[in-house]
Amino acid sequence: MPLVNNKVGDDSTVGKDKALADGEALVDSLIKVVACYRHLASCVGSCTDSLQLRDELRQTREKAQKLAVAICHHLTSHLRNKSLPEEQRKEMELLWVAFSSSLELLHVDMCKVFKMGDIFSLADTGTLVQTGLQGGSSEVAARALSIPDLNQAQPPALPAGLESQEQSTLEQEISQIDHMIDDMEMKVNVLRWMVEPHGPQYADPLSSTDSASLALLSMDEERPGHQPLCQRSHIFVLLLLFAVVFVAATLSVCIFLFS
Amino acid sequence: MTIRNAIRDHGQRYRPRMACLQKAEKVLLEMQDPRTGVKSQPQRLVITTIPHAITGEDIIAWLADRFQIDTQEARSFGSMLVALGYIYPLQDHKRLLIKPDASLYRFQTPYFWPTQQWPVEDTDYAIYLAKRNIRKKGILELHEQEQYNRLHKWMNHKWDFIVMQAKEQYRAAKERKKPDRVVFECQERAYWVVHRPPPGTVSAMDYGLERRIDPNADETKTPDFYERIMIFTQQSIMRPRVKSSVSIGALVKYCTTYNSHDPFLSKCLPSNPWLTDDVTFWTLNRLNVEVPSKMRVERWTFSFGELLSDPRGRDDFRLFLKKEFSSENLAFWESCEDLKWGTAATMREKAEQIYKTFLARGAPRWINIDGKTMEITVNGLRHPHRYVLDAAQTHIYMLMKKDKYGRYIKSPVFKDTMKKAICPEEHKFSDAQLEQNAKNRRPSLSPIILRQQELEQRAKMAANAPVDITQLCRFTTPVPHLAVYSGITDSPSLAFPAPSPACPSPISVALDSTSACERRLEADERKPEALGPVRGPVSKSRMALSLRRLLKRGCTPATMFASLSPKCHSAAGTSSRIQPISPDEPSQAPPRRIGNFFQIKVDIPPECRIYPIESEDEDEANRSASRGGVGTKEIICPWESLTPHNGTG
Repeated sequence: MPLVNNKVGDDSTVGKDKALADGEALVDSLIKVVACYRHLASCVGSCTDSLQLRDELRQTREKAQKLAVAICHHLTSHLRNKSLPEEQRKEMELLWVAFSSSLELLHVDMCKVFKMGDIFSLADTGTLVQTGLQGGSSEVAARALSIPDLNQAQPPALPAGLESQEQSTLEQEISQIDHMIDDMEMKVNVLRWMVEPHGPQYADPLSSTDSASLALLSMDEERPGHQPLCQRSHIFVLLLLFAVVFVAATLSVCIFLFS
Repeated sequence: MTIRNAIRDHGQRYRPRMACLQKAEKVLLEMQDPRTGVKSQPQRLVITTIPHAITGEDIIAWLADRFQIDTQEARSFGSMLVALGYIYPLQDHKRLLIKPDASLYRFQTPYFWPTQQWPVEDTDYAIYLAKRNIRKKGILELHEQEQYNRLHKWMNHKWDFIVMQAKEQYRAAKERKKPDRVVFECQERAYWVVHRPPPGTVSAMDYGLERRIDPNADETKTPDFYERIMIFTQQSIMRPRVKSSVSIGALVKYCTTYNSHDPFLSKCLPSNPWLTDDVTFWTLNRLNVEVPSKMRVERWTFSFGELLSDPRGRDDFRLFLKKEFSSENLAFWESCEDLKWGTAATMREKAEQIYKTFLARGAPRWINIDGKTMEITVNGLRHPHRYVLDAAQTHIYMLMKKDKYGRYIKSPVFKDTMKKAICPEEHKFSDAQLEQNAKNRRPSLSPIILRQQELEQRAKMAANAPVDITQLCRFTTPVPHLAVYSGITDSPSLAFPAPSPACPSPISVALDSTSACERRLEADERKPEALGPVRGPVSKSRMALSLRRLLKRGCTPATMFASLSPKCHSAAGTSSRIQPISPDEPSQAPPRRIGNFFQIKVDIPPECRIYPIESEDEDEANRSASRGGVGTKEIICPWESLTPHNGTG
């Protein structure tokens, strides 16, 4: 993401920097929320689908929409401001591209959730696909909503009528986002081919511990045929360990006896 | 539903031929039912166990049981479900097929199902690759690397967003519990193996161009919709009906005839290239192969249409016709096809060409069609369009079919071809060889090259076109300034001498004797008598019928030819073959004759027949014509204005 590095400047630029920083923060959080929404959406229709999940989806969606509206106002007002200096404008346009892309992703996810909600009704749990998921997605939702823990305030059993109401609200919100996208395109003319990103081509690999454990998991996932071998190698290592410990113990006993 | 998809689709998004997706979804929902579906078992990994894994053999057994099909078919069906992405393999995730053993599979989550409405987005793929890059610390597979670079170039403006989104998704995934994380990664990976297959694999999602409307959606009942239904039903009522016994009989006959020739229903020798990746079958059955295969030759005997539609068959037929000296029929038919299928710009000249070559009086390759058809054709040629020669073409087609085709099948040419035809041995590939073949797949010749070859061939054939000997006699010697013989034998025609004395053709013998009768013809205008003495030698020749026709015609118009055009007198004079008919004598008689034969105006009075057939010759002879005025003409196309000495354009 573009760094704000001009700390020195007169008031107007400071003000504008603040606007830029605000915009960036908002866009970052929107991206985060959209990512979490995608994770949640991938659980819809699977065996972990439940009212809770739908509720989490709703909350995440509402947050995303709030953010979206805020960013829309913010960026539109700044980009329509003709007196914006060139550099600022570039930064703003970058933010704008990021914003519109995340909005599109959100829109697609919402459409998918809507469609799947139609097909996979929670009333009939037999049709929910057994995908192998076990746990809940409350942690993801918590991350999205930026709260440490998601309290389950509502009881899980809710009347079925709520589901259809939920669907219609979803429908409305989707069309709202539609309009927002349209408005955006109308009001602000951002030439996408003129926008140049700052970031690297490859995402930096995150801290090694995280990826290592995951890599281990994936390795096992890909070659479970080798499981017996691995297990055998583990047993061998354990045996070796025990042998070493045993030898050390006997040695110490000998020393103790002979000393 | 007013929901629109975010990606600004400018039409055309639905995938044709993917109606199977909805059906597959239904099957899948049944399969995954915990009570009545496929038995699931937990998958044991080192750290954890993940439930809901199913084995390949269980899937196959369930499908066979549910649909009452045999194991092989159940296996193919299962492989299709895997290839479409509804079930994914846990081991060997790149090969999308069902193995009938204990290998494990899992159901894909509905979010990743290949539905019609949502196309697969490159943005998502870019995010996925970025995530994978993070996880594998920069070690992507080669094709993934290439794709990544390509997407970086094309979606450069979004790249910051993509990298950020990848990081966020990665972090969000970490919030989940480990088994769920593993499952989600497997799901995503399987999704992308289906939709962005690694190179060298066959993808089930190849579906061609996208469609504007969803073939699975219900159509809204607008007035337009009902109008379409009405038109359709009206046309259905108006359709000619056939008794079902007849139509079914025809279908049965077709099926029994073609059953052994169908590569799906019966074995394909040497081997079906789609199954074994070995292209011998295609090389042996190329369009212009020297030695055709036995099956191909057998197909020619089914119907005349089959013979003509196969280029090799057509070549053979052409050879046969050349031996029978009636290859003008096939040439005419081919030219008509060329006219029908050619570009609109060339239509006019093609029509003229065809007229001059085949239809006009004294044309070098004159075809025999009846007067009515000729009248219709000539009338139509005034304003030539694509189908102007349809009547004539049909006539010739029927002629060839009824007469020549039967003779061809019994001819030595065909028998020879049949004897030489090859019957290749069946291939028996082992599995290893099949894999080898799959690796050695190569693309075939580009269609551009094939088209060029075809055009070259056609040009070569046109250059070497045989000049039909029946039409040639000293009287139809091509005269230079007559632009009649354009196209086919341009330069050769000019240098072409009249049939040399050494030419042993019986025609010249017969024709020699006509010179004697010509004078008599001029004198008393009694054709049937004149031809009496000629009939003898003629009947002995092979080409009796055509000769007689020629002679009946050839006598008078031929002389017209030679003598009519004023510039031609010298040419006529120089040719020693032209008998000493005094130029004066025919000059009185001819104008009247010309009136009969050459007044090719469109609004011809009905009693005047343009192109006499055999029965009409006598009438003409008795005609007292004063159609004057046309005078000395070359052959002109009937749609051009009749001005004297008009160069035939």
